[in-house]
Amino acid sequence: MSVLIKTVGFSLGLTLVFTGVANMLPQVEGDAPVDVKVDLSALTMDDFVAMGEDLFNNKGTCTLCHKPAPLGRAPDVQGTNMVAITTERLADERYQGKATDAASYILESMLEPSAYVVAGWGKKGSDDAESPMPAVDKPPIQLSDIEVDAIIAYLQAKDGNEVTVALPSPDAAAEVAKSDAAPGGAGAAPAPAASGEEGLAKYTCTACHALDSDDTLVGPGLGSVGARLSEGEIRQSIIDPNAVIAEGFPAAMPGDFAEKMTVRELEMIVKLLAEKKQ
Amino acid sequence: MQRGMVVAATVMAFVVVLAAFYGLDHFVMSIQGLPLNMDLSPAQ
Amino acid sequence: MMYRNDFASGRSCWKPSLVAMLLTLLLGFSLSAMVQAAQDTGGESVAQRIAPVGQVWVEGEPAPETEPVAEVATEEAPVYVAPRPTRKDYPDIGVSSRAVVWILAQMHLFFGALVLAVPLFVLIIELVGQSTGDERYDDMAHEFMKISLTGFSITAIFGGTLALALFVLYPDFMGYMMRVFGAQWIVYAGLFFLESFFLYTYYYGWNAMRYGNLKWLHLTLGLLLNGAGMTIMVMANSWATFMMAPSGVNEVGAIVGNIWEVMKGPLWNPVNLHRFIANIAFGGAVVGAYAAFKFLSTRDPAKRAHYDWMGYTSNFIALLAFLPLPFAGYWLMAEIYAYSQQMGITAMGGILAWLFIVQAVLIGTILLAANYYLWAGMSRTEGSSRYQWLIKYIALILVVCFLIWVTPHTLLLSATEIAALGGSHHHYLGPLGIMPAKNIAVNLMLIVTFLSFQLYRRSDKVATVSWAPAGNALLVAIYVVAIVNVIFLGVYFGYFTNTVYKVGSSVAQVASTLVVIIAGIVIDSLMFRGARTLPSHWGRIPDRAQYALFALPIAFTWLMGLMGYVRSSVKTHWHVYTVMQDNSPDNFIPTIGYAGNMITIVTVLFLLFVLFMFWIANLGSSRQPVPVRAAAMEGVA
Repeated sequence: MSVLIKTVGFSLGLTLVFTGVANMLPQVEGDAPVDVKVDLSALTMDDFVAMGEDLFNNKGTCTLCHKPAPLGRAPDVQGTNMVAITTERLADERYQGKATDAASYILESMLEPSAYVVAGWGKKGSDDAESPMPAVDKPPIQLSDIEVDAIIAYLQAKDGNEVTVALPSPDAAAEVAKSDAAPGGAGAAPAPAASGEEGLAKYTCTACHALDSDDTLVGPGLGSVGARLSEGEIRQSIIDPNAVIAEGFPAAMPGDFAEKMTVRELEMIVKLLAEKKQ
Repeated sequence: MQRGMVVAATVMAFVVVLAAFYGLDHFVMSIQGLPLNMDLSPAQ
Repeated sequence: MMYRNDFASGRSCWKPSLVAMLLTLLLGFSLSAMVQAAQDTGGESVAQRIAPVGQVWVEGEPAPETEPVAEVATEEAPVYVAPRPTRKDYPDIGVSSRAVVWILAQMHLFFGALVLAVPLFVLIIELVGQSTGDERYDDMAHEFMKISLTGFSITAIFGGTLALALFVLYPDFMGYMMRVFGAQWIVYAGLFFLESFFLYTYYYGWNAMRYGNLKWLHLTLGLLLNGAGMTIMVMANSWATFMMAPSGVNEVGAIVGNIWEVMKGPLWNPVNLHRFIANIAFGGAVVGAYAAFKFLSTRDPAKRAHYDWMGYTSNFIALLAFLPLPFAGYWLMAEIYAYSQQMGITAMGGILAWLFIVQAVLIGTILLAANYYLWAGMSRTEGSSRYQWLIKYIALILVVCFLIWVTPHTLLLSATEIAALGGSHHHYLGPLGIMPAKNIAVNLMLIVTFLSFQLYRRSDKVATVSWAPAGNALLVAIYVVAIVNVIFLGVYFGYFTNTVYKVGSSVAQVASTLVVIIAGIVIDSLMFRGARTLPSHWGRIPDRAQYALFALPIAFTWLMGLMGYVRSSVKTHWHVYTVMQDNSPDNFIPTIGYAGNMITIVTVLFLLFVLFMFWIANLGSSRQPVPVRAAAMEGVA
């Protein structure tokens, strides 16, 4: 019996030592990003920049990698004047992206990190052709357009540069308010559209196409598209818009809907459009 | 005589093992796409 | 004559077991057929299944217009995206749901690991016994099985409770997992039947199938038992790795691949290997504690010799499995970085980074205890005095490396803390806090631990081959050069070249360590062929050395709990990373102190259940003496 007491006592004692070590260390809790309600209609540029800094340090998780040397696993963005360095980056012969100024360059780097990889920071073995950075608008980071703009504003403002991104407009504010009301909140992946109309709004089709008439905006009007095209043809022109282009129009429609839409969304949109026979 | 043999064996062993580990470093680094120069400094 | 007898009596119990095996196979097939059938009808909508009934309408009236069936089907076809539960979708039971699931899952995992590992090395020990003809091995293997037998039921009980708790507390999440993994759970349940069948035939058939051909049948049963166990493990692993790095689903969680594509995520195999090795180390450590306890409880020299040998073997198993574990861990971590750099850094450099200090303390405890046990065990042999002088140097290296290893790296510091430290890194300690220094420390600790082990193995032998001095010179050279190489690689590439070479050099360090281990085993096994053995005395070991055998399982158990905390926490606020968000009240990463308290709770619980398991094992072999009165009556009659 004394053996049992001694051995169990020894084991418990050792366990307590480990517990003690764990409790001696600084206690940090890793909070899940909380949806912060920002009153966009009363937002000043200073607020916007501050929001960008907060996003950079917290929700955006940028500082996990973008730290000063020798700790960083990515260029030290906060310690660099990004506006000044953009000129160098854009002049680099390796630069293949489409950016023309600091704001568009920073935006491009966040959404398509592999568009330009700073020398030495590429994925191992990719010879700096591929970036290890995740696209910030995709899960798990999932910043909204407004949040991305806020970070650009912060990166411009922190070195005293002029902020060239616009404050979110009241329209966008309304948009955000609407998506906040949706289940999952702002931090969740965009919820699949529930109807064809919602789908058209979600993929911003109406930005280029008139829905209720055949008037041309950027693309052809869709008021009577159901009379002109079959369901299959509509589906094809969404998935592969450049296969057949309506006469006199540029090949301007995005070609990545096949990746973005869920099957159900596509079918709802096709069905809605096919019924537009006026 | 016996002692001389042991010393010789030890020296030999060190030479062989040094060469082997030198080769090992080159080999392991190069299969990861990280070649080394003759003096073991990075060749990239 | 004897042999025939055995064979004949063996055959009689062989037949029913064959029949039972066939029945089990049949059961398995019918189960899979049922699963297939369930899948076949699962795709149809209600409308499709009732469609052939026909149409009914009132006479004279025109047929009512009905929508074509196919159209109804597309309308109804559910979109299988991951659910997005809001906070109120999580049942509130008054205590933290996560804490409940945490405890149950960890208990299930502890016992699962134990009962998967024990049959594995039991089979190997049995094979050793079979090939050497030494019955002691066979008896020890049997005893290992005996003491872990209750563990199977305990595993199943905790597994069932865990599943129930998950369904009750996380209904949306479990609903999604069930949809993704579909009918896999039926296969899983079927495997449990197989596992139990092989377990009981293997254990209870031990003495019935002890010699000759029947022994091979018995070994086959052991192999099948391990096969079933391994399949169960890799299946369950795929659930965990799917949650960390989902595959076979698109970005909103809709299922796009088949079950194989869902299972075969990028982290699956690294986790499989890591758990497989770690289970063996864990299992060895736990049965070692049993042997130590029995050793301490008896004064009988024969029993002490037996349990000393058993404890030594357990420690040997635990240590042998433990040495390659860091390399498996390295692979897992590399795959995590490759899958998502963000996830990797969350684990290694983010808020979880402190945890690796605790990990260092635990692994340091394990290495020191294992080394101490080996050194103490040298007193069993008379030839060990030749190597005693080395121990103090080994101990010194272990302690220095341990201290380097626990030196903190980047820490989340407040502004005043940074000011007090004069930068986010300490001026002198900073360089010791980063990975290259820790890599050097870990590799050196492994090398000297192997040295302890090798010295122990040598302590009861004297080499007789003519090239022994040359062989020894070669080994000394390998140790010295390997240690120099590990330090050189770490210092030069770690501090004076770029990051890519820094990471690459750690692979070369690991290779150096492996070369030492492999060369040590190869050279010694050749050099000590036909060696003269010095007398060694099992049981001649100080009592205090046995406490090392208690420190090992406690540290292993705690370490497993800790690593479970980090594995689960890197998902941050996701149930299924990037696919299904966790909106429960517990969607934050708890502090290391909270985690430590939880881990201690499960470790103590595990300790209690293991004591129960050992107690049950010994209950079977104890028998109440016949009461005196009854015996007297019998005597009268």
